[in-house]
Amino acid sequence: MISGLFWIVPVGAISALFFAYYFFRQMMKESEGEDTMKKIAQYVREGAMAYLKQQYKIVLVFFLIITVIFSFLAYVLEVQNGWVPFAFITGGFFSGLAGFFGMKTATYAAARTANAARKSLNGGLRIAFRSGAVMGLVVVGLGLLDISLWFIILNAWYPLSLTDGHNMVIITTTMLTFGMGASAQALFARVGGGIFTKAADVGGDLVGKVEAGIPEDDPRNPATIADNVGDNVGDVAGMGADLYESYCGSILATAALGASAFLETPLLQFKAVIAPMLIAAVGIILSIIGVFFVRASEQADQKQLLKALSRSINISSVLIVIASFIIIQVLELDNGIGIWGAIVVGLITGIVIGKATEYYTSASYKPTQSIAESSKTGPATVIISGLGVGMMSTAVPVIAVVIGIILSYLFAAGFDFNNTGFGLYGIGIAAVGMLSTLGLTLATDAYGPIADNAGGNAEMSGLGPEVRKRTDALDSLGNTTAATGKGFAIGSAALTALALLASYVEELKIGLLRIGQDIMDLGNGIVIEMQKATLKDFMNYYDVNLMNPKVLIGVFIGAMMSFIFCGLTMNAVGRAAQKMVDEVRRQFREIPGILEGKAEPDYAECVAISTKGAQVEMVLPSALAVLVPVFMGIVFGVPGVMGLLVGSLGTGFVLAVFMANSGGAWDNAKKYVEEGHYGGKGSASHKATVIGDTVGDPFKDTSGPSLNILIKLMSMVAIVMSGLTVAFSIL
Amino acid sequence: MANYLYLSITPEALIASMLAPEEFGNYFAVGTKKRTRGQAMFFELDIDKMPDDFPKNEIENKCVPHADNTPKRSVYLSIYRALEYVPLKAIKNLFLVTDDGRVLSLEQDEYKEEDGNSLHLYQELCPVTPRIATRYNPSNFMKYVTNTSQPVSVPKLFFVELKLDELAVDPLKGNVNDLPYPNIDHLRDCLIGIQEKPAKATKTVIRTFYGELNFRTCKNGFFIGDKENILYYPFPSFEELNTKYYVWWRSALTIGLR
Repeated sequence: MISGLFWIVPVGAISALFFAYYFFRQMMKESEGEDTMKKIAQYVREGAMAYLKQQYKIVLVFFLIITVIFSFLAYVLEVQNGWVPFAFITGGFFSGLAGFFGMKTATYAAARTANAARKSLNGGLRIAFRSGAVMGLVVVGLGLLDISLWFIILNAWYPLSLTDGHNMVIITTTMLTFGMGASAQALFARVGGGIFTKAADVGGDLVGKVEAGIPEDDPRNPATIADNVGDNVGDVAGMGADLYESYCGSILATAALGASAFLETPLLQFKAVIAPMLIAAVGIILSIIGVFFVRASEQADQKQLLKALSRSINISSVLIVIASFIIIQVLELDNGIGIWGAIVVGLITGIVIGKATEYYTSASYKPTQSIAESSKTGPATVIISGLGVGMMSTAVPVIAVVIGIILSYLFAAGFDFNNTGFGLYGIGIAAVGMLSTLGLTLATDAYGPIADNAGGNAEMSGLGPEVRKRTDALDSLGNTTAATGKGFAIGSAALTALALLASYVEELKIGLLRIGQDIMDLGNGIVIEMQKATLKDFMNYYDVNLMNPKVLIGVFIGAMMSFIFCGLTMNAVGRAAQKMVDEVRRQFREIPGILEGKAEPDYAECVAISTKGAQVEMVLPSALAVLVPVFMGIVFGVPGVMGLLVGSLGTGFVLAVFMANSGGAWDNAKKYVEEGHYGGKGSASHKATVIGDTVGDPFKDTSGPSLNILIKLMSMVAIVMSGLTVAFSIL
Repeated sequence: MANYLYLSITPEALIASMLAPEEFGNYFAVGTKKRTRGQAMFFELDIDKMPDDFPKNEIENKCVPHADNTPKRSVYLSIYRALEYVPLKAIKNLFLVTDDGRVLSLEQDEYKEEDGNSLHLYQELCPVTPRIATRYNPSNFMKYVTNTSQPVSVPKLFFVELKLDELAVDPLKGNVNDLPYPNIDHLRDCLIGIQEKPAKATKTVIRTFYGELNFRTCKNGFFIGDKENILYYPFPSFEELNTKYYVWWRSALTIGLR
């Protein structure tokens, strides 16, 4: 019973992949420039692919182990859906594939962007942005394709009917588990990528700039190529995997919540399930249209370049508002206007978070300028004011998300707080609205490292001042979009995690039914059918309330997890950077002629050190993220897990905003001083802001972004392990 | 292999070497093992125009290739009052070397006096190293400091004029945003003092210069001379630095956190 409307979803997915391929081919037709430019691009490409290969090896081992465990749980203990091992693998596979294509494109595009910038600014912008769009479109295309395929397969296995909606609940909750594959892949990409990029960046800078006095992007620094590789590894593959997971997670969680909310009316249930998929599919088409709107004049300044990107995002956003209204009307869902309102709320929330991020991290505004000003009294005050600005910056995104949650809930629930099913569906679909034009927003994000690498290539190849000016302008724009993208990723992660939290309860229902418990005894003689139990019934059944110590224990452990995770990743960067410093020192010492520019450094060794460091260091935080929810489930049961997820979501979200914004603000405060404020380059203020920027590097590029994954992955693990939790919890 | 003679400014020394200026500058900044780094400034000297008592044969005897036929990198001939000893006519190009060994060669040119009553800031580099605020233009400052009839003087001086931007005309309210000098309030006080007291021509801003010269603060160039003559080495314009000398300039702009 798949209606014709559904087929728009795979068509949208394939359109995304088609245009991604088209943009890729267009980019590949451009010249990479002179031999030096080609050589540098080749180094970066080889380094990036070497890293991915190594990462995928470890991920493969991890996936094999987890698949065996899932198979054991599903087929031996029979506490889990038999599809989970397969769904888990496909989620991870498609996410990994998106990262691979994105990285490949980005590393081919950098030299081409630099070469195009020799002719014109618009030429450079066009190549960099459309190459970024490849990443954006591959992520949404593969994500939606995976969702479509599973929906078709499971629909054949669990036929839908117009009289019984339970099969739809099974289908959607089963599909939800493929999100764990995507989450696990994202964790490795984000944590590993974050450690790699900052080990190379910090390590390379410490020994290059501080010890040897070598400028950035200087080919004499052995860590230069690793630094460029790191931009791709962290900001292309890492960000892509992160948002792939949010994108799929929000659609799947909303579908699961829709299946539950509309259980009694199967036709509407079907429509509620496909609504987020349809919005995502139409969002893809609008993203593709938006890509074609990005262009700038030859004399464009920084503001005009930003305007060129904003224009395309704004056009796509307005169009998605209109298109989603039409979709909801065509689907004739109950309270269609309210659900549409929730979508609009999600979009606005995303925009507000993006703008707030820009305000707190851009040197055009007071917060970052105040950090720069504090440099007059040294590095200590720079650190203090950066921490202060980062903490203050949490207010707007948190309040935006809070307002987003309450409005989307109320709109979808028809302003009835007791209409929990519809309300939670509204929160889910708000996240879908926020991510509906992800193809485009991710393009603006992936554009950043391409422009950055293009600048590095221009610098290392010794291109003329006019070219450097253009690549600098493109790079500077990329810094702004990257900061906004991080805010967007965090906001969407918070909403998605909340939707996943609600979906967790749906999974509990399925888990209980699987172990043969088809009634729910709520005490005082109240017994209800499991199939008909509501979310509130589950909360009562499991005693999920703040007076239950198991919930409180979970909250504390969840809050602690965010900090432990950050601590582990921060220390990992420090250790990996130290190894990089040792290697660069060794090369200066042992390879004669490096500093004279007569001998070529061993770039590959630095890439290998960063890769190895990242792989070793990411194991412990990743293992904790997977094991802690399982442990909490087995020991403290559902209340413990719910507490854990709430604790980690609450602290993780705020901590992620704080870290990303502090890091971004420190970075731009340094640039503000370099532009000729408070003494400019070489002044004591400059040195103070350089220290702030170095401290902020792992904040904004390693620990902060990794928290997005932590809060989503723990929810996903809880969902997938719900069968085990309900069957074996000790307390 | 030819022999070269250099007058190093930091530290003051006469050094013979078999390395040509570019190579010598790189070696001087980062050493042979590359475990050190440090800014350097030196002049190439014309051996034939050195004083008669200059021990030319010592260069020929000591400045010979190593056993493995690698060139002799440095032979120190003097480390005291070297500038004073070298005649101005023997001084050729000035070489500015960045921390990581990038070398910029500056040629002599004629100095054209600036009009106006703006204030000046000079960093003396050899043989003494105070930073001086003054109303004297470079040639008058050179005459003032090398006037050996005065008790406080030196026979020869090498200095650079530093940028003051708006402080040169308005030390009280002038914008200092892009001036990386430490203790800017003290600098303002010194400049105001000179402006307000016609009898006071110079003020010491910093008694001894530590660290390295921030090349981006060079206003117009470097000066070396005595009470009679002044040689001028113009510093390239911002545009030239960004085009012709970009590699050196990038390196010069890199700051260390040591």
